[in-house]
Amino acid sequence: MTEQKATNITWHGGSINQEHREQLLGQKGVTVWFTGLSGSGKSTVAREVEKKLFQLGHLVYVLDGDNIRHGLNKNLGFSPEDREENIRRIGEVAHLFTDAGVITLTAFISPYRKDRDKVRGLMKEGQFVEVFVDCALEECEKRDPKGLFKKARAGEIKEFTGISAPYEEPENPEIKLDTKQQTLEESAGAVIEFLKEKGIIKTNSQDAYSDDEKEIINKRLSDLGYV
Amino acid sequence: MGILKKIITSNNKKRLFVLGLDGTPFTFLQKQMEEGKMPHFQRMLEKGSFLRMNSVIPCISSVAWTSFLTGVNLAKHNLQGFVDRKLNPFRVYIPTARNIAVPTISEILSEAGKRVVSINVPVSYPPKEVNGIQISCFLATDLAKAVYPKHYYSYLKEIGYRIDVDAWQGRKEKEKFLKDIHYTYDKRLEAAYYLMGREDWDYFQLHIMETDRINHFLWEQWESGHETYAAEFDKFYNKVDQLVGDLDARLGNDVEFMILSDHGFCSIKKEVYLNQWLEKNGYLKYKTDAPKSVTDMHPQSKAYSLIPGRIFINLKGREDEGSVAPGNEYESLRQELMEKIIHITDPDTGEKIVKKIYKREDLYSGPFYDDSPDLVVVPNDGFDLKGNIKQPNLTYKGELVGMHTDDDAFFYLRNYDIEPQEFGIIDMLPTIAELMEFPMKEAENFDGSSVLS
Repeated sequence: MTEQKATNITWHGGSINQEHREQLLGQKGVTVWFTGLSGSGKSTVAREVEKKLFQLGHLVYVLDGDNIRHGLNKNLGFSPEDREENIRRIGEVAHLFTDAGVITLTAFISPYRKDRDKVRGLMKEGQFVEVFVDCALEECEKRDPKGLFKKARAGEIKEFTGISAPYEEPENPEIKLDTKQQTLEESAGAVIEFLKEKGIIKTNSQDAYSDDEKEIINKRLSDLGYV
Repeated sequence: MGILKKIITSNNKKRLFVLGLDGTPFTFLQKQMEEGKMPHFQRMLEKGSFLRMNSVIPCISSVAWTSFLTGVNLAKHNLQGFVDRKLNPFRVYIPTARNIAVPTISEILSEAGKRVVSINVPVSYPPKEVNGIQISCFLATDLAKAVYPKHYYSYLKEIGYRIDVDAWQGRKEKEKFLKDIHYTYDKRLEAAYYLMGREDWDYFQLHIMETDRINHFLWEQWESGHETYAAEFDKFYNKVDQLVGDLDARLGNDVEFMILSDHGFCSIKKEVYLNQWLEKNGYLKYKTDAPKSVTDMHPQSKAYSLIPGRIFINLKGREDEGSVAPGNEYESLRQELMEKIIHITDPDTGEKIVKKIYKREDLYSGPFYDDSPDLVVVPNDGFDLKGNIKQPNLTYKGELVGMHTDDDAFFYLRNYDIEPQEFGIIDMLPTIAELMEFPMKEAENFDGSSVLS
């Protein structure tokens, strides 16, 4: 499916490039790739990060597994080949979004290491941030937000990651989250902190404090009658 | 200016130790010394100059110390209060060292290769990567993030170093608060002595914040001779006096020794809520019945206030939803507010609340002038101007008993005989430059001048 069919084509660049768009937006284009089992919290964390970044004034967009399968990838199923093609298309879309200067969050199980590494290979150094949303299978199964584990155990869903299909953990993810131990706030905070450290979003002067720290300092100053 | 006469000539190493006693008034120290309660400090008067000094307006530690550290007014250094505002969108935030727009003394000296140690100096959070050591001030929330270089964190943690006392206890449990004051102070000194002995330094600044904290919660009790707390107050300042004597002995005469505060203190008669006055007099309205802060201000509002006494006009083209046109309308509104506010009295006693009102152009100049308050109200002693909104009354007697004053800070310099003169904390960096015989390229930007020449 990934062979190059069209041949008489040339890549066209304009006078406006990614850097110009990034200047306009006051951020750097990036793909933050959440990977993990179904029910591990990929979408939940991605949506929380989206909300926080938006509130900080950033253009951010979430490409979510189920949503993409409603449209762009509606012709794909869950066989190894279809999974590969699914991720390839998503990867290309994420690449375009990143080039557009958008902070792109993707939330797909993306179980195969080689598929994720292919997407990484599309991007420039530093533009692909792999986030391993680590959560034990038992915990994911306990959560089972869409009732899928139940169906998989009953044999109603074939090739279900973690039950009847493999999941290959990232070897060197940029960020590793433990959604069983961490609160949603902590997980989302870790992602945002990483983006700040890497200069993808600017550390605004008023953001010397995290939300928790803001509470502490506000209390201290208000006890002193300074706020 | 004064006639400089150095009493003892030091060698040419030009090292300086600065001891900051936050919020310790000149007149208070005079009184304690007269009563024989601070014998070490009194002995120091014979071999140095002890002078009254002005603070800054508005009179806030973070603004005053930033002027000390940079030698410039707030429209140049941009640290305008414990809280400040950003526009588009309108929000209120807590400024930190990241907001300081010009180099501080630690950075200036570091760049020249001098070794600096700074402990607890406002505003030094987050810590800067200086040539030496920075332990941040009370704006730090987590000790692990308050130390540069990081390897000193484990030492501080081990000794149980504390960034600041728990002020809540000052309101509710005075005994615990006093214990906390002594503990925090003792640990600060332990760390300071440790670093003094271990590190090679050219500039060392140790900041004592506990003086300000005890003043905030026990000043009135001290002033009125409370049976328990007046003695506790004296006991703490006696410890500070011992520190002065001890440092004098340790530092020897080849190090310059400066001691100073950033503002004075007086008892609070009442807290005063300028936003209540603005609302009641039709200058301030809110979008909802339960506004959370001035950011919920209605677009028709004309003015609002941030602590302490800073008034901002809701100016068109500057504020998010401005209603007052620049030019005549702005000027006449400022005039109108000044004429009315100067006459505000305490509804309970009829006392006049306001001493003076400044226009921004009387006080500030610099790149951040546009962000500075349009008017600054300076109260009479005893009236503590707050920024609270939706207060039922203009005034209220709360749990805080001590407030800052802007004309009663002190300055002491050992081994120098300085002629009395009118000067302020903003003159300190030029003074230090001269003391250390260190010409600073930033000097052309300084707003003050050396008290030595």
